[in-house]
Amino acid sequence: MNCYETLFVVKPTLTEEEIASQITKVKDVLTKEGAELVATQDMGMRKLAYPVEKNNRGYYTVLYFKAAGAVIQELERNLRNNEDIIKFLTVKYTKQREVAQFDKLAAAANRGVSQSAKVEEAAKVQEEAKEA
Amino acid sequence: MQERRKFKKRFCKYCEAKIDLIDYKDIAQLKFSLSERFKIMPRRLTGNCKHHQEMVTIAIKRARQTALIPYIVDRKNVVESPLDMIK
Repeated sequence: MNCYETLFVVKPTLTEEEIASQITKVKDVLTKEGAELVATQDMGMRKLAYPVEKNNRGYYTVLYFKAAGAVIQELERNLRNNEDIIKFLTVKYTKQREVAQFDKLAAAANRGVSQSAKVEEAAKVQEEAKEA
Repeated sequence: MQERRKFKKRFCKYCEAKIDLIDYKDIAQLKFSLSERFKIMPRRLTGNCKHHQEMVTIAIKRARQTALIPYIVDRKNVVESPLDMIK
């Protein structure tokens, strides 16, 4: 099992639900191939540094996962065939130091998710308190 | 007579911070090694060591591929402050 990180950019013209469905689609490919998804980092809608396929913005998502090498071929084939994905990049972490950093990055990404979840929870609690 | 150093001695910023890996998504960190036209700054100006300069170049090229930072800043689409463009 190797450590990989894949970044992909979804077209900005889609609605939020469609973007979410695209992301789950990519995740499904990984789970189907038997990869272990470690963390997901949502970078959100960003301005692109240069236009890509006449798009000026894009929705960035980063997936950290552990998988066998053959999975990448299948994943990239799916990404390439998907017309709603305008950019993708896969990076492999091989050296020991790099893998240590990979764990750190993945943990940071996880923490980001949990933090936003916590904020939402706190907001919910506050709302409930107000209602009561 | 001992020859005096003409320039200030430069340190590798990354060696001092003991960085093992430069993340291509962390643009704020990459900015240090970019000129205002988004060229990769040479080692003689930034003071990076060879080991870290290699990591920086790889990170910058990856960031370019994923449209996080531009390849070139030309006269056709002039932006007032290009560094503020990416955030």
